[in-house]
Amino acid sequence: MNSCFRPIALACHLLFFASLGAVGGVLAADDSVIRFGQSAALAGPTRELGEGMKLGLDAAFNEINESGGVHGYRLELVSLDDGYEPEAAIVNTRALIEERQVFALIGPVGTPTSTAAQPIATEAGVPYIGAFTGAEFLRDAESLPNVINVRASYFQETEEMAARLSLDLGLDTVSIFYQDDSYGRAGLNGLRRAVEIYGMEIREEVSYPRNTEAVKLALLDLRRAGAEAVVIIGAYQPASTMIRWARKLNYSPYFINISFIGSEALARTLGQDGEGVYVTQVVPFPEDASLPVVAEYQAALRRINSSATPSFVSLEGYLAGRLAAEGLRLAGPEPSREGFLRALKTSGEINLSGFRLTYGLNDNQGSDQVYLTVIDESGDFTSVDRIEPR
Amino acid sequence: MSDPAKNSADPARVEAPEIPSDDGQDVRQLNFLRTIAARLTLILLGSVLLVATASLVAYFALQITLNYQSRMADVDMPNIVDSVQIARQSTALVNGAFRIISARTRQEHEAEVAEVEQEREAVESIIENLESRSDLGENTQNIRLHLAQLSGHLASIRDSAFRRLQIEESLMLLTAELAEINRNIESDLAQSIDDQGFYLVEGLRGLDETPAPLEVRASEVEFTIYHNLTVVNQQANLAVLLLDEMLVLNDRQFLPPIEERLFSALDNARRAYANLPASTRMTSLGASLQRLERVGIGSSGIVELRSEALLRLEQEQDSLAMARDASSVLDSEVSSLGALISGNALGSSEAARQSAANGIILLFTINLISAIGAMIFGYFLVWKSLIRRLTALSGAMREMSRGDLEVAVEVGGNDEVSEMAQALERFREYALEVQRLNLVEKLAQELDAKNESLEATLKELEKAQQQIIAEEKLSSLGQLAAGIAHEIKNPLNFIGNFSEIAMEFGKEIEELLEEIDESDAREDIREIVADLGKSMGKIRDHSKRADNIVRSMLEHSRGGEGEWRETDLNAVLKQYVELAFHSMRALNTGFNMDMVTDLDSEIGLLEVVPQDISRVFLNLATNACQALDDKRHRIEGFEPVISISSKRLEEDAEFVLRDNGPGIPKKIRDKIFEPFFTTKDGTKGTGLGLSLTTDILVRHGGSIAVDSQEGEFTEMRIRLPLKSVRKAEEAAQERV
Repeated sequence: MNSCFRPIALACHLLFFASLGAVGGVLAADDSVIRFGQSAALAGPTRELGEGMKLGLDAAFNEINESGGVHGYRLELVSLDDGYEPEAAIVNTRALIEERQVFALIGPVGTPTSTAAQPIATEAGVPYIGAFTGAEFLRDAESLPNVINVRASYFQETEEMAARLSLDLGLDTVSIFYQDDSYGRAGLNGLRRAVEIYGMEIREEVSYPRNTEAVKLALLDLRRAGAEAVVIIGAYQPASTMIRWARKLNYSPYFINISFIGSEALARTLGQDGEGVYVTQVVPFPEDASLPVVAEYQAALRRINSSATPSFVSLEGYLAGRLAAEGLRLAGPEPSREGFLRALKTSGEINLSGFRLTYGLNDNQGSDQVYLTVIDESGDFTSVDRIEPR
Repeated sequence: MSDPAKNSADPARVEAPEIPSDDGQDVRQLNFLRTIAARLTLILLGSVLLVATASLVAYFALQITLNYQSRMADVDMPNIVDSVQIARQSTALVNGAFRIISARTRQEHEAEVAEVEQEREAVESIIENLESRSDLGENTQNIRLHLAQLSGHLASIRDSAFRRLQIEESLMLLTAELAEINRNIESDLAQSIDDQGFYLVEGLRGLDETPAPLEVRASEVEFTIYHNLTVVNQQANLAVLLLDEMLVLNDRQFLPPIEERLFSALDNARRAYANLPASTRMTSLGASLQRLERVGIGSSGIVELRSEALLRLEQEQDSLAMARDASSVLDSEVSSLGALISGNALGSSEAARQSAANGIILLFTINLISAIGAMIFGYFLVWKSLIRRLTALSGAMREMSRGDLEVAVEVGGNDEVSEMAQALERFREYALEVQRLNLVEKLAQELDAKNESLEATLKELEKAQQQIIAEEKLSSLGQLAAGIAHEIKNPLNFIGNFSEIAMEFGKEIEELLEEIDESDAREDIREIVADLGKSMGKIRDHSKRADNIVRSMLEHSRGGEGEWRETDLNAVLKQYVELAFHSMRALNTGFNMDMVTDLDSEIGLLEVVPQDISRVFLNLATNACQALDDKRHRIEGFEPVISISSKRLEEDAEFVLRDNGPGIPKKIRDKIFEPFFTTKDGTKGTGLGLSLTTDILVRHGGSIAVDSQEGEFTEMRIRLPLKSVRKAEEAAQERV
């Protein structure tokens, strides 16, 4: 372009974007890059979750960019650490939207952090995609037009847990060990609704403070109450501490963790004590390459890090990245935030190489799938259909 | 010439000139002061003087009005605008102060301060403008004084708010630090209390240990540790809560009781922590507690800073209130200044009005005087001494123009009019003289003219007489010729017929001679008979010619008897020219000519007697052919050309026949239309052709004209009326 026309062209672009911005328009950093922003725990006790999501997103974006991008756009990910603290998530989200001018937020980790960050994104009209949480408030599609979820909700997971405990084991009570914050309470609420469905009761509710391992008194309460099955809504570190102390005390109820636990980290920290610990999952089994999307995920992961092993968390990140790319593809060559969201919600079933997602104007959750896995004697996960009575 | 002058001599006129003189001595002798020019000049000068006076009056009146007006426009109005501006600005300054107090960040503060400063400078410059324009005395000084007060309050608000914002920034940092300390304490204590509680129950501190016995794990020491840990936890939480409360508190009065509770909570926490056995005191927890104390009640801690911020805010509010007061005093000063300026403006306006009114009265007076003066002057000078006399003069002139030169011109006075009257009088005298002379000359001329006309009439009469005589002669000649012709016609018939018979006889003799035996006599007889035949032929030919002449003469005298028919004369003309040519050619085999035609078909059909008109054309064409043949014989290589043309004119049709023959000599050109005039010798012409032609054409209401140049051409131009003259002709015939 002739240099003397550049200012005019720039002014035109600014005007164009300003007008689009008023209706939630394009925020491409330059002509060829679409930037996504992630605020997640990349340090602290839940860092493996943030890192896993980032790894999956990087794998997906790398795969897409290597195949020419979307409508010629390269996808870029900017990840900031919030340490699983809401205040930091707020600061990060503001910075991503205002300073880094991201097109959308993707792969945030955690319920308390999302509770803090989502309102900022909603107010700015910035898409909020693939949060690593099943909290119910993010499923309110009517109030939150900018939120797109990939995974099943915590309610669906706890319902699966209640179903298994009631149907497979014939139990009529269940206890809960939860993190004393919005995440834990989201699980608690889910479980309370689920037990009603199956005519069960909650025997004991115990909690621990976030980012601590002060779990032992809670364990004593569980034992005192005689809990036969304990639903764990927590982080892998305190959960594994609690389970190990239970093993130490020879107290062995059925432990069922929710997907947010961070399955691989849990298995690793439990070591020998992990056998028989159940985890509900919301993505397919990451080692099972029979599903094309998992095979593609594994290949993409190897492409960016040959030593990385597949995990549930990074697969979820990968799926979120693929979904974002698909949304851009559907939105056409001049993507706007509104067009992107509209494309995802009005295109019917979205098939990511065998992983099917369905959205609607009043449905912002793509998958309702909940999978049950258990840690075997070698510390690996196995996919199971039911809980075997001991 | 001197007679009329004497007749009309005016005894009153001293200088009545007996002999007109051309020098301007008379004019110079006029008393200059009494001339119209002098008087008009005087009047003009007077008017100019009056107009100048009126203009001056108007000028000065307007000047004064304008001065007041411009004082209004340049001083009073801007002063009013400025005072309104000052009042507005002072309100803006107070609003600015409020905005400074409300500023949330230092950037906002700086921006507001800059804006307020700008506004303050604006007021200053407005006041300077006011002072420079006019001396408003105490008012502006008072305004300056109150503005200075207002500025003082603004400055204190500005400085205090700046400091307060610094404090609030520090408080923000302290708030963040407080949250962090709280997290650390919670985290440490939750873990410790959990560990200690678990130990009290299970006697286990690590996964690899064996459980401690009951007397060890449930000893007083262990319970004291558990108790103190919970107290530290409780009191630290309380301290954080109190500090949080303090951070959002807006009323300074409530600070001291909170502060008191804070002191005791921190004290309790410190004491409980100190009660922990040294081995179980977590250094991180101790550090956190110390930090909590520093952040809370240390120097530049939350308590101190919050208290100062609230104090400053109160002071700022007070300053704002004072600024408001100063502003309202300023406003009242501005109002009184406004009243003063309005008074000035009203004064200016009144003075301007007064000046304009004075000007109007003066002008009106001057105009009145001018009008009256003009009327008086008009009556005496223009009406009495000029118009009346000029009317008399013009009356005299009018009389003269009607031819009445007898009345003397009498206009009195001694100015240009009287001079004019004198001149007119002289003119009248001259005119009288000239009139008499002219009369005689005119009569003589009239006589001459009548003589001339009489002579001309006489000549015409003589001419007519001669014409009548000639016509009489011609007429009797014609009748004579007709009589002769009639008488000769019978003998000629006889001669002709018998010469034919004689020739028949000659032929019979020749045939008989064939039957007779050959002899010399027969040859001789044959020769004689042949000669006889030739003679007879000549007799017959000449008798035929005589017959032709006679018939022509008869026709001449008889006139046409043919029928009137509508005829295409173009065709007839062409046909007869061709006929003439062929006839000529039949006689002279060597003869040839070109024929050029240019016939106007617009002519259409004309009602004529075709056989007469065709004779005309034939006559003319035959003449032309003969003329051309003559010329051909005389000039080698001559190419004869006849051109015929016709043209429709307005009322006539014109036919032209032109040949490039020898032409007609000028001297005989007038005679060719006379009867029996011919240039041809022998048997070629009767001398009646053109005469007959003229006759026919006249009978048709037409005419013929000739144009020729000797040796070059002859052109015969025939005109026939488009509208037939048959009726008139027939009527004429009947009358005859």
